[in-house]
Amino acid sequence: MDVQSAAMIGASIAVLTGLGAGFGIGLATAKTSEAIARQPEASGKITGSFLLGIALAEATAIYGLVVALLLIFSK
Amino acid sequence: MSEVEHAMSISEKIVEGMGIKTVFTISAFGVSIPISDTVIATWIVMAVIILAAFLLTRRMREIPKKPQLLLESFIGFMDDFAKEKIGHHGRTFLPFVGTIFIFLIAANLAPMITPAGTGLYAGGLEPPFVIKPLTRDINVTAAFAAIVIVTVFVSSIVIRGPVGYVKSLVKPSPVMLPFNILEYAIKPLSLCLRLFGNILGAYIIMLLIEAVAPAVFPPLAGLYFDLFDGLIQAVVFSFLSTIYIAEAVE
Repeated sequence: MDVQSAAMIGASIAVLTGLGAGFGIGLATAKTSEAIARQPEASGKITGSFLLGIALAEATAIYGLVVALLLIFSK
Repeated sequence: MSEVEHAMSISEKIVEGMGIKTVFTISAFGVSIPISDTVIATWIVMAVIILAAFLLTRRMREIPKKPQLLLESFIGFMDDFAKEKIGHHGRTFLPFVGTIFIFLIAANLAPMITPAGTGLYAGGLEPPFVIKPLTRDINVTAAFAAIVIVTVFVSSIVIRGPVGYVKSLVKPSPVMLPFNILEYAIKPLSLCLRLFGNILGAYIIMLLIEAVAPAVFPPLAGLYFDLFDGLIQAVVFSFLSTIYIAEAVE
């Protein structure tokens, strides 16, 4: 196996980080809608921390994407 | 066209779309500065924002009309947000965070002017120019992240005073000192990569959809990938900047 195809396989493994991010964002969304259903008057504050949480959870997927792009395009 | 050739043309299209072209070079004082297409797009977005700001604030009235009413409610929303997060220093940082927010919204929505598949619907007429998303260039997002972290650093020193700043570095215990210093590298890195990765990822997916199914799907997918994702990322970037500033000055 040459370096190029190894890099391609590495890139596709790196994109698996999307699994964790998807799971995390799904969990956060479920808990947010639950919290808003319980206390609709606090929806502003809940949405704020939800946005912060999904931004942090999503970062892992983005790092995976960046690593994959680096593997593909750095020669 | 064979299967392999077709696949090659798609990947070539994507690589070409991702690349940042140098449009022209300015030579002055013995140095040559390459001007890329993102810089030109940034100039266009800046001009549009300045023009909009000028037109919207030209005739302010006691009893507002529709454009002024929209503007006032938008500024009021940002003002409330800054006050809630940053506290009594909110007014000091509102112009900074607000500018980043408005610029990122404009930058992320600019490619909507020339959406994917325009040529198909305009009867084969290709638009004379295509605005690609500015924030797909990592230099743009790195610049924004650098501005934010410098603001966090300077405002923390100015508002807390040098002694208070050093004290804040060893909170909650001196063991945390290396981590508190590391945050000055991690925060801008994650801000920069988040915006860049999201916009570039959405852009690559749009290029793929356009290459595979140019008929119906690009406008529909564009609603999500260009409009929704662009807005969310603008909100998230300015939200995180506000949180970082609030942490630094509290």
